[in-house]
Amino acid sequence: MKLLTKTTLYIATLSMFLFFIMGIIFFQVLKNMSLSELNRELTRIQKVVDDVFPHFLGGQLSGLPGLDSISIQPASPGRVLKDQFGDTLMFDTRTHQFRTFRYLHFLADHGGNSYTVKLYKSTTPADKLVEQVTLLMTVMVILFLAGIFFLNRFIFANLWKDFFDTLDKLKQFDIVKEPLELGEPDVEEFMELKKVLERMTMRLSSDYKELQEYTDHTTHELQTPLAVIKTKTELLMQSSNLGPEEMQLIQSINSSANHLSRLNTTLALITRIESQQFTGRNKINLVHLLDDQLEKFQELIALREISVVRTYSDRKQTITMDQGLADIMITNLLKNAIVHNMDGGKILLEIKNGSFGISNEGAPLSFGEQELFKRFARDKKKTGNFGLGLSIVKKICDNYGFKISYNYKNQLHTFTILLPDNSSSF
Amino acid sequence: MQILIVEDEIPLMESMVSYLKMEGFKCEEATTYHEGLCSLDKHDYICMLIDLNLPDGDGLNLVKIAKQNQNNSGIIIISARNALEERVRGLELGADDYLVKPFHLSELVARVHSVARRTRSQGEEILTFGMIRVMPEERTCFVEDKQVDLTRKEHDLLLYLMSNRNRVITKESIADYLWGEYGGGYGSYDFVYTHLKNLRRKLVDAGSPDYIKNMYGVGYKFSLE
Repeated sequence: MKLLTKTTLYIATLSMFLFFIMGIIFFQVLKNMSLSELNRELTRIQKVVDDVFPHFLGGQLSGLPGLDSISIQPASPGRVLKDQFGDTLMFDTRTHQFRTFRYLHFLADHGGNSYTVKLYKSTTPADKLVEQVTLLMTVMVILFLAGIFFLNRFIFANLWKDFFDTLDKLKQFDIVKEPLELGEPDVEEFMELKKVLERMTMRLSSDYKELQEYTDHTTHELQTPLAVIKTKTELLMQSSNLGPEEMQLIQSINSSANHLSRLNTTLALITRIESQQFTGRNKINLVHLLDDQLEKFQELIALREISVVRTYSDRKQTITMDQGLADIMITNLLKNAIVHNMDGGKILLEIKNGSFGISNEGAPLSFGEQELFKRFARDKKKTGNFGLGLSIVKKICDNYGFKISYNYKNQLHTFTILLPDNSSSF
Repeated sequence: MQILIVEDEIPLMESMVSYLKMEGFKCEEATTYHEGLCSLDKHDYICMLIDLNLPDGDGLNLVKIAKQNQNNSGIIIISARNALEERVRGLELGADDYLVKPFHLSELVARVHSVARRTRSQGEEILTFGMIRVMPEERTCFVEDKQVDLTRKEHDLLLYLMSNRNRVITKESIADYLWGEYGGGYGSYDFVYTHLKNLRRKLVDAGSPDYIKNMYGVGYKFSLE
């Protein structure tokens, strides 16, 4: 959930709840106030009625201003009645409707007789007032909420602008490229955030750079001693007074030095791809690229009696990348397809608009598919293989934004590389 | 048969000199850029081996000067860096080959032979070994008068063996020589074996004795004995 949505939701829920409670209290208070006002009015009228009671009995008076209706009845003697307020429903002859009335019930004495008197006053005007005030309040609350909503948005857009700018820049941050540069926020907390982030990414970049340099230097420096071991053992091998055992010992040293130096070269290559030292941007025709590299393996393919099926439906498909890396990528894919093929097997090459694929026959992987592009992923039973070839291919693809995928179906291992639009046919 | 070696790593220099001497080459040694510069005109070299990374100067510069002075001697660049741009620049300046450290001595010798052949030979050169005759330019091979049909790799392999006659050669060095550094290596040793088997069969079928000796499973030796 977004920050803005969440804040709005919190504010809305809380204020709705508060306004609901407040509304109920407000309504009750208002209602009570209007009720006591009616009671007061009726008490005032009661005094007037007491004063002019004979006139009512005599029939000269039948009502009073402010009073809706009055009823006078003789009370049974000896009855005691306290003044009593109440509500009742009565049929109003003027409006032909049932309406609520407030009444006051009391005893009045005249000439030794007791009378029960009931004074009625309609509550409708008061109710109307309460209704209108409540309605007005509700409208005000809605307006207020809407105001809060827009105010919140406005504050949000302004206050958090720097935060979102920072977030955007962080998203685009690439360790290989420029260091992170954030603007100058005027909110103190954001300023602190900016400082922390800049310090962190700076550290990250410099660590990364140092690591790259370290790897670069180490791999380079390692080559010379390795060269010495290799050449000295090779020389030693030539001496005539060595028996088979000594020869095998020397060979195994030589072989290990070879292994180490290959590993070193390959890791150096990966480092150089990662640090984007290959900057060439050549527009390469895929058909030519594939056929050229295929040519180098022609004899190997013939030796293992592998048949190559080429389906080039788009002969103009190009790929924009460094020529050296393109060669390495295709070489590694082809080599992989040959080494892991079976004698008399097949290799399928396919070039379509926007993609190319390479498939080879072979037994299923002896390890998980997700391991395939990782460094040192390999069939442990096969020796003399580092499992770096495909990880190089992956690195190269990542470098140029190509999407590489793998699947295994009907005994066919297939690698498909999807090319981005900008390197499509011309 | 003089060769100039400019290399600042003494142990490596020693190895190269020993191996090349076994092949009958004479070596002029230079361990710095300056020494290399002084030695450039000392002899008429058939080949110069120049390390690019020298303590007191850029090997590429040496290549340039060497090319101006002795146009008819071959130049092989030796470098620990395998950057394509450097390689291209070196070859543009007139170097004939580019060898990346660490290399096999047998590969170095094969390249020296090949460069020497290219720069020195007038007309078609014929290499002989026992009953075998090879014409590298035409890529043809004869056992006595009988022509042997070899594939490209088999031909390269034969030349490699002839360049390193009487030496123990490892299968790693053969693989690296035949397929280069990214193409060769892992998985290609089986192919070395197959190529060798086919080459051996073709030569023997044509009437030649089997010159390719297996050395205790360590490597191979191409010799008359």
